[in-house]
Amino acid sequence: MARYDSNSDEALIEAIQRGDGDAAACLYYRHIDRVHRICCRIVLDSSQAPDCVQEVWLKVFRNLGRFRCERSFTAWLNAVAANTAIDYYRRATRQGHHADIDEIGAESLVADEEPAESPFDGPAVRRRVREALEDVSANQRTALVLRYFEDMPVPEIARVLQCREGTVRTHIRRCLLTLRAKLATRLNQEVQEYGQ
Amino acid sequence: MDSKRFSLEEFAALFPGRFESQEQLLREYRSFLAVFEQLQQIPVPALSDQEKAAIFRRSWRSAKPDWSWAWVNGFRRPAVTFAAGLILGCMLMFIVLGGRPAPAVPLPIGPAPIVRKPLTVERMRYTQVYTGELVERMYPQIENPKIVLEKPAESAPPQRVLYGTLDGGEIYVVWNL
Repeated sequence: MARYDSNSDEALIEAIQRGDGDAAACLYYRHIDRVHRICCRIVLDSSQAPDCVQEVWLKVFRNLGRFRCERSFTAWLNAVAANTAIDYYRRATRQGHHADIDEIGAESLVADEEPAESPFDGPAVRRRVREALEDVSANQRTALVLRYFEDMPVPEIARVLQCREGTVRTHIRRCLLTLRAKLATRLNQEVQEYGQ
Repeated sequence: MDSKRFSLEEFAALFPGRFESQEQLLREYRSFLAVFEQLQQIPVPALSDQEKAAIFRRSWRSAKPDWSWAWVNGFRRPAVTFAAGLILGCMLMFIVLGGRPAPAVPLPIGPAPIVRKPLTVERMRYTQVYTGELVERMYPQIENPKIVLEKPAESAPPQRVLYGTLDGGEIYVVWNL
């Protein structure tokens, strides 16, 4: 696999199109961390992220034969990852398999026995942020993640989400407003509960 | 997330005309930066090497059988499809024509031309009429020339007469040869 390390994505894709497994592994390891990050932040459940990542790579390998090298592979991969993660999240939410319910339940059971944690502690902040992120739509969250976590330009996000650039900005704006409002409300609630 | 990416300019572009003063804009911007700071506290756990390897193995193995048909994807290109269609069409035509090459000379369209004999002889009992290309060459000045060999009676000597026209048929020629 090391012999491919210096090769460009396009060269690797051509080798994969000839059925070269080493080239496929090289391309996979080059991009796996980014794909995993995107999936994690859209699916919001790190325990389900590996399944989602596998779905992404299955789609990538199945469709690489049709990939045209005129287009940026990274942009295409980001689009596949984001759309797969959105579908995965919606499917999991519809089926009620999303892990947070169980996790939140477990955490609350544990919390009864342990001393109350401060609303400013790391775990409390993380839980609050994750709950707030669940309250925004998958498209809004994806726009935010791709813009500020993956540094993707707005026109590219518009192509991923198949909408206009103005709509992407609206998604980001609404997402930020919702997050700010939810985080503030939850923080107030927790501060009050902590005070009691 | 790197909050440096969320610049004040970008924030102002996201919320155009919402703030009455620069102070209000800065205040709101800072409040959103606080949101970003909280977002940054959500860590993304890295995949272990075993997990990465397992994901690759499963996804590559599941996708691999499709590669045997990868060559079909080449035909998705219009130019390739056009060229392949052309070649296939030519092969089919060759088979249909029984392996014979197409005639080099195009087939004539319309009625077949009348093949003229060099000399036509019309025989009657006492008369023989000679027409055709040979007679025309002998008397090029005469239009539609014909030589008539006629005998007044069976035992009488034959007499040769040239018939034809001149000046586009205006003058009728009868010439005893």
